[in-house]
Amino acid sequence: MTSHRLTRGGRIDREKPISFEFDGQRLSGYSGDTLASALLANGRQLMGRSFKYHRPRGVLTAGSSEPNALMTIGSGGRTEANTRATMVELSEGLIARSQNRWPSLDFDIGALNSLLSPFLGAGFYYKTFMWPAAFWERVYEPIIRKAAGLGRASYEADPDYREKRWAHCDLLVIGAGPAGLAAALTAGRAGARVILLDEGFELGGSLLVETTPLSAASVEEITRRTLDELSALPNVRLLPRTTAFGWYDDNVFGAVERVQSHTPQPDPNRPIERLWRIAARETILATGAEERPLVFGGNDIPGVMMAGAMRSYLNRQAVAPGQRTVIFTTNASGYRTAADLEAAGLEVAAIVDPRSESHDQWTGKARVIRQGVVRDAHGGKRLKSVTVETQGRLEEIAADALGMSGGWNPIIHLACHRGAKPVWSDERSAFLAPEFSSGLTLAGSARALDSLEACLGDGAERALQALSRIGITNATASFAAAADGAPRAFSFWRADNNKTKAFVDYQNDVHTKDLGLAVQEGYGHVELAKRYTTNGMATDQGKLSNVNAIGILAQLRGVSPAEVQSTTFRPFYSPVSFGALTGLAKGKDFQPVRKSPLHDWAKKNGAVFVETGLWYRSAWFPRTGEAGWRQSVDREVLNTRKNAGICDVSTLGKIEIFGNDAAVFLNRVYCNAFLKLAVGRARYGVMLREDGMVYDDGTTSRLAEDHYFMTTTTALAAGVMTHLEFCAQTIWPELDVRLASSTDQWAQMAIAGPKSRTILQRIVDEDLSDEAFPFMAARPVSLFGGRIKGRLFRISFSGELAYELAVPSGFGESVADAVMKIGEPHGLSPYGSEALGVLRIEKGHVTHAEINGTVTPDDLGLGKMVSSAKPDFIGKAMLNREGLKSPDRIRLVGVKPLDPAKSFRTGSHILANGAAATLENDQGYVTSSAFSPHAGHTIGLALVKNGPERIGEKVIVRNDLFGEITEAILCQPVFVDPENRKLHV
Amino acid sequence: MSDLRIAHKPALAGVKAGKFGIIGPKGPAVRMKAMPEHWLLHVLGAAGATDTERQLATLDIGAVRFAGPGQWLVVNDTAQPEEALARLQAALGNSAAFSDQTHGRVRIALEGPRAADVLSKGSAIDLDLGVFAVGRSGMTLMGHISVNLARTGPEAFELIVLRGFAESLWNDLIHMSLEYGLECIAAPETAAI
Repeated sequence: MTSHRLTRGGRIDREKPISFEFDGQRLSGYSGDTLASALLANGRQLMGRSFKYHRPRGVLTAGSSEPNALMTIGSGGRTEANTRATMVELSEGLIARSQNRWPSLDFDIGALNSLLSPFLGAGFYYKTFMWPAAFWERVYEPIIRKAAGLGRASYEADPDYREKRWAHCDLLVIGAGPAGLAAALTAGRAGARVILLDEGFELGGSLLVETTPLSAASVEEITRRTLDELSALPNVRLLPRTTAFGWYDDNVFGAVERVQSHTPQPDPNRPIERLWRIAARETILATGAEERPLVFGGNDIPGVMMAGAMRSYLNRQAVAPGQRTVIFTTNASGYRTAADLEAAGLEVAAIVDPRSESHDQWTGKARVIRQGVVRDAHGGKRLKSVTVETQGRLEEIAADALGMSGGWNPIIHLACHRGAKPVWSDERSAFLAPEFSSGLTLAGSARALDSLEACLGDGAERALQALSRIGITNATASFAAAADGAPRAFSFWRADNNKTKAFVDYQNDVHTKDLGLAVQEGYGHVELAKRYTTNGMATDQGKLSNVNAIGILAQLRGVSPAEVQSTTFRPFYSPVSFGALTGLAKGKDFQPVRKSPLHDWAKKNGAVFVETGLWYRSAWFPRTGEAGWRQSVDREVLNTRKNAGICDVSTLGKIEIFGNDAAVFLNRVYCNAFLKLAVGRARYGVMLREDGMVYDDGTTSRLAEDHYFMTTTTALAAGVMTHLEFCAQTIWPELDVRLASSTDQWAQMAIAGPKSRTILQRIVDEDLSDEAFPFMAARPVSLFGGRIKGRLFRISFSGELAYELAVPSGFGESVADAVMKIGEPHGLSPYGSEALGVLRIEKGHVTHAEINGTVTPDDLGLGKMVSSAKPDFIGKAMLNREGLKSPDRIRLVGVKPLDPAKSFRTGSHILANGAAATLENDQGYVTSSAFSPHAGHTIGLALVKNGPERIGEKVIVRNDLFGEITEAILCQPVFVDPENRKLHV
Repeated sequence: MSDLRIAHKPALAGVKAGKFGIIGPKGPAVRMKAMPEHWLLHVLGAAGATDTERQLATLDIGAVRFAGPGQWLVVNDTAQPEEALARLQAALGNSAAFSDQTHGRVRIALEGPRAADVLSKGSAIDLDLGVFAVGRSGMTLMGHISVNLARTGPEAFELIVLRGFAESLWNDLIHMSLEYGLECIAAPETAAI
């Protein structure tokens, strides 16, 4: 392959050669190259295979709209598929592979699809693979997915990290071309906080490409001076390699910065990509314009390229498109490319211009063919010639490159992310963004301006307008206004009578006939045509194809593009990696870890932890020689009932409730009575939702006249706090109630078992006798001879004589250590949440396994608690609904296996003995189950139809997931001390 | 009983400490320190009480941090005598309730020329000195964790976080500081009382 690199020119650094690999071949380029330009310089025109027909494809653009040159970059965990070679900065050792070809890019078996193309038109698989229906999922879809495709993701873990950050500014400027630079400079000089971002690795946009001289100085000089000044301004943040991908509510923009993805050896201390969320008071959208391809036969043969891209490769990277170039243009862009090619000493075979006349002055060598149309291009993996039709005459011109320009589409994607629709302009022959009264302004060629000077002046002018809207009025324009010389644009949607496929959407292989078929079959509406043909649905989101498709649909339907309208624009403007959206929240950092103040105590006592929401709870404390968790849990349960146990209950929600109306407030929040709770006493409370279902339960203690302390379940701590705040702020703002979460303030430990009082009395200064500190007492206490203060609650979840001791969290570990030390001679041992679960099931206490959002207090056997005397409480009205009073609701009951050696699981269903296993016969389900070392067999709590009335009845516990059927007996849901004697000793 | 050692263990004792990330020639651009856990009070103003913040400021019991409508956190590096709370309650009467959160919330100081950049990775608050001036504070999310963020100097901030999340936040802040270089000092080990 011959080198296409010119011997001089361009912005590449010839002192810095870079070697890289493409499909296993070692190649070299220079610093300043993109992967695409380096491949072109190496004579590598063929860069990919198309999605559906596997046609050979070359690079078409020099930017983010590239539909053809999609490659897989990197290796191992750093593999990135579907990367646009035009956006990849060349770096030392870069490894790139072509995609969607087998066995090789040059020889691709899949290209046989092209032979079948008469059968593969739009919608072919909807029509073809209709029968048999079952084949779609198992046969057709896998085959189609395999044949049509993009690159493959890696299964290896990504070694790099990505992060997110926020930024705020007065003026966000998106796009650092002439309009963007002028806007940023105008605002920056006025002292405004400016962020200027651009997706390119060099700021400058079209200023880096164009050679048209400006009146004041050379393009190069203006660009350098502007960038130097902007870099020196402390109030301006420049973000190259950053793509703004979305415009969201409150004028927040999303953008992805490629921090290190262009470096050969990423620094592990820096992110590879950074996702910016930029809150801007005002925004200038200086995103430029996308050159519109021309639709003619063979317009996808490698060597066919956008005229602007050709100019970019020539002027930025000194790469010649070929030896002999034909230009096909409807506007000045083609003439500019022809002039630059000739200036570089390259041959331009002809300039084909479908217009009969134009203002474009041509003084170059090349022949201009007016009213000419390229009807077909010829060649396989490389362009060989083109057929030009001029008023009925055909002429074949040999060429190995073709630069095309069908006009310019302003890049207005972001401006339409929040519901606004683009507006067709006949004058500009383009869709323009609507005007916004504030927040966002377009400038430069994004507003369909053409000349560099007009764009510079417009950027400055638009920045002044935006700044004045936010009260910055001291700014002066950094560039003078200049008239735009752009003549009335010319629409040319497609060449007729072409012999080969004329592509509209390159990436999805949609050609003119597909659109014709869509209209013919009744799918001519733009949204339907898009889905029928898949035009604009590829990863490039139709950046090149949408407007042409609209133009062609308009032509076929005989209406204006204004009537066809565009499809809906949505984020993202260009593909964003999932990693960037994930940020740091992956792996072990997926969610924060919340640690109990007794975490380290549990850890040193050998606890096995279980994740409970964000908390790490100690689940059990294994000892040497124990065969498994069950053995440890059985021991912990038995020891607690025999001697004493200590358990970390710090994770339960704790809420301090203050205020003169706290009692009234609680009385309305709970379904049971709270008004008369005495100071120094605790009470079990049940909270309902407005619909009458149980929401949460817990104990609330009155510590002073106007100070209560509520505990909630671990799971609903935040939910209950929010609920209470809502009630206090919104439902009863007249009540004096103030709420503070104190979950983290207290290390709380349950000390349960017959010996708990003896142990606790050693550290609590006050008298703990049953008379002095009876069941449900709750008081602040002095500990260790007055060294610290805590709170003690005589409450019991286990059914044993039990206390909960709360001490300030920082003291938690040493207090738990002290309890262990004192308790050791009394047989005290720690127990975890598993044993806690067994103890409470044995005692028949409910948790959220039972409080599952579908149960009333009565369903849980707590019906008597519901106050009938209170005028109102949350849930009262709805609790009286007929269905909630129905006698055959499923209600709480105990269940145990008929044969103590048998077992059953939580979630199993209850059937009447002998009933067939049908949905109609389902009578309820087991909500909690455990092996009870106290009872010596499995026990369960269940919600069963008429449960409490059926105690003693034999039922079937059935679990079809595990194929288990257990004969069982319904029983009282209390397996330990049903008379509550232990609580009052 | 007196033979039992009762000690205070700070939430950020024994966490990662030292220097991390890219340390430039000028040293770490971010410094992080676990603050003393001696005095932190959650103040809950009564509805309609409009003067509470000013009153708190005049009582000289610590820095007053806005923590939501009618709510403040009062922080002090040194422990206050037990009667301080009674004095406060007497001074403010029913216009404020107090919840001692000395053990419930943990303070982390973050300073240095890139401290604001680190915090911007987690919080949506505009940390420009002209917008979020010295002395301002607010509730915000630092990544996934709720914090009270205060500016204590042009390049100095303080975060107040629920104790259970302190270590997680500490580790997140280390990660977010790597590119600027970080030096961090954990809390001292336990202190017997």
